[in-house]
Amino acid sequence: MKISRRNFLKGSATTLFLAGFNFPVLASNDKKKNLVIIMLRGGMDGLCAVPIIGDKNFEKRRKDLILDKTIKLNSDFALHPKLKNFHNLWQNNLAAIVHATNIPYTKRSHFDGQNLMETGGHIPYAIKTGWLGRGMKLAELKGDGLALALPMPLLLRGIPSNDNFYPSKKRLPRTELLQLLKSVYTDKSEHDLANMMEIIANRSMMNNGGTSMSRKNSSLALKAGLELKKINGPRVAVFEVDGFDTHAAQGGVNGSHSDSLIEMDSIFKSLEKGLGSEIEHTLVLTLTEFGRTIEQNGGRGTEHGYGSAIFMAGGLLKQSQVYSDWPGLKKKELFEGRDLNSTIDARSVYASAISTVFDIDFKRIQKEVFWGDKLQNLSDKLFKS
Amino acid sequence: MKNFYRKVAFGLGPDEKAPSDPLEWAKNQLNNVPEFYWKGKILPEKELRGYYREWVYGDRKVLRKKFKNDKDGYKREKNKLRHATGQKFWWNLELCIRYSEALKSQNPVLAKLWYFWGNHFAISEKDFLAQYTTGAYQREIIRANMNQNFEKMAQEATKGWSMIHHLDNEQNIGPKSQSAKWAREKGKKRGVNENHARELLELHTVSPNCGYSQEDVIQMAYIMSGWRPEWGKKRLETGDVHFDPNAHQPGSKIVLGKKYKSGRKGLSNAITDLVNHPSCREFIAMKLCRYLITDNPTKEMMEPITKAWEKSDGFLPEVHKAAIEVAFNYSDKYNKFQNPENWLLQMSKMADVDLIPSPAFMDLYKIGNKPIRDHRALEYLMDELGQHPYLAKQPNGWSDISEDWMSPELLIRRLVYARESYYKKSGNSQTKEFYEEMIEKNYDNPGEILKIIGQHKELVHKHVILFNLPETLRS
Repeated sequence: MKISRRNFLKGSATTLFLAGFNFPVLASNDKKKNLVIIMLRGGMDGLCAVPIIGDKNFEKRRKDLILDKTIKLNSDFALHPKLKNFHNLWQNNLAAIVHATNIPYTKRSHFDGQNLMETGGHIPYAIKTGWLGRGMKLAELKGDGLALALPMPLLLRGIPSNDNFYPSKKRLPRTELLQLLKSVYTDKSEHDLANMMEIIANRSMMNNGGTSMSRKNSSLALKAGLELKKINGPRVAVFEVDGFDTHAAQGGVNGSHSDSLIEMDSIFKSLEKGLGSEIEHTLVLTLTEFGRTIEQNGGRGTEHGYGSAIFMAGGLLKQSQVYSDWPGLKKKELFEGRDLNSTIDARSVYASAISTVFDIDFKRIQKEVFWGDKLQNLSDKLFKS
Repeated sequence: MKNFYRKVAFGLGPDEKAPSDPLEWAKNQLNNVPEFYWKGKILPEKELRGYYREWVYGDRKVLRKKFKNDKDGYKREKNKLRHATGQKFWWNLELCIRYSEALKSQNPVLAKLWYFWGNHFAISEKDFLAQYTTGAYQREIIRANMNQNFEKMAQEATKGWSMIHHLDNEQNIGPKSQSAKWAREKGKKRGVNENHARELLELHTVSPNCGYSQEDVIQMAYIMSGWRPEWGKKRLETGDVHFDPNAHQPGSKIVLGKKYKSGRKGLSNAITDLVNHPSCREFIAMKLCRYLITDNPTKEMMEPITKAWEKSDGFLPEVHKAAIEVAFNYSDKYNKFQNPENWLLQMSKMADVDLIPSPAFMDLYKIGNKPIRDHRALEYLMDELGQHPYLAKQPNGWSDISEDWMSPELLIRRLVYARESYYKKSGNSQTKEFYEEMIEKNYDNPGEILKIIGQHKELVHKHVILFNLPETLRS
């Protein structure tokens, strides 16, 4: 099949069936809705995770990296065979993909790229807050963020009092001592430290069960799911998965890129388990700094590229679909003759997600979170209103 | 001003008197690179790389094949191989050597700057480099060059095995090179890998502020093509780095407007030009100020450092002295939030915490055996604190920005490990008088601090509070 630049808006069979009905609009404001971002560090290869079917250019340029036994999603795209949990969600109409998308950054440096994927800006290191933090500020969601990592990700900065969870194996000092430190911090105008001490003192997580918890992303995701499920729990959670920078030995189904994708997949699974029925009111999105070159390099790996894909999961999705304005993979269709192009500013997806989950007008997000940049409102294409 | 002892070093220990001239005290530590304080075994990088080779070869070439269909057998034999090659021991030994410089040596200021440079030319988490060679790289290439010009450090770090391997330069093959032609004849493709070239520009020398383009990165990668470990069937990727002319991209290259001839000398010449570019010294001056003084260094702070660099041709002792003097001048005005490693070392030094196992104890370890828990204490601790120095997540090393170290979990770590550390103190340091003297010597507001910690009766609580006060967290 020869694919040229055109619009895809294809869903699975279930979706098409349901599409004929008009459901009454629920009073969504009453319901606590959650947003989860999974950061995929190192440059996630959208072409490996969600390969195009039957494109000769692709098969020619990546001879050694073509996957066997991919899962067919629709007539044009397949899914990496190890993404089993994501596929389960897809079959239940709880998963979708945006393809050929990226943040508007084309210079291929991890550090600049990761800085920009988190700030949402144009100049590396120029912005000190994250787009998610600013979105939460706009929605007045103070104290509602949870990072499943030891250092606080830049993505969540911009609103104070976020929590992080990465279990310690030791017990905390007694409460009076924490209170004393908190009052010293307050006296000395150390407001950030005072806020954190408040979170620590109030933390219930530490004492849950008392046994030391694993720090694997799959266990953290289970914990996060349970916290997000609580009516007074956090509304935002952020994960990190490393290891996508596969310059060498990227491999096929069992290669190193697969290992990182499997870790991502385990987060989807545990979140679903922890959230239970609240998955219906949750949106999970992935975020990466760039995709990878279409061409394999000498070390059977790939280089830093441009366009990638966004994985999405949760009941706030409109339908299972690969949403894309596919640019094609002929030499002249590639970005700088080497990378899958990005035809959708990934920030449009994130801005639309904030709008949907936090119930804020898209234009306000565009203006106050993304400085009035030209972004598309994709809310009604991708998400339930 | 007493803050200065903690800002540029780790405070004053119980046996140390306050120097009459603090600035001279600090500067005098920077002229030479003395022998390591550690009296136990210190292995050369080459020997440790040999163990890494045994590990890689044994796993990849022997065990994976032998136990293709026996997952459990594979696991068992792989664990044996770990211990046969000291995988869980060496980096603990390296941490002992590293921390002795901060806590025991006569040159803690040099140690604090050593950690800076090790992080500047970071070898981040990749394969098992941290377990075998990263500590040795930081000794032999970073610290050993701290009394040299920056250029020498940059040349050696760039061409060192650790960096070449860490940033995939062995995969960097000129597309028009002989090797690429041979590969093409066999139907294989070989080409450029930009990773190392990009980091050399971005992280190690001129930084993106100098305005290089993607084309500069590619041209730099062409210059670097052919610099790779000498390959061998048994050595695999662990051979010494050499220049392989067959893998080098022929023809001249242009980086930042300068032309470089094809061949071995291209890389050295390019590094010479990069380190002499004004953006390089500005970048390093900014990073030194950010490490020692504040997240947002001013022009006025950076200027004396770039001047010293220009005057001395990037001679590191002079650059360091200039940075220390700036830190001294701003010591009352600015406090820098300390990363977990520097915080731990500060606490251990001032409160006399027995952090480092003894050389005699470490030397009891026999290769082939599983190290006992106490041999691995430092590895566990650094991991728990959130900053194992050999496991930075990315090639830009651990962050120097305060915010990156402020979060509930990281603060929890400081609370629980302050408490743990109290029980590792010698008996005679567990007295009220000890704390009074230590606070008097190391803090500018001893009266206020004593009043705060006086609100708790037990010494262990005083200890936990002291090391979590803003005055300690920021120096």
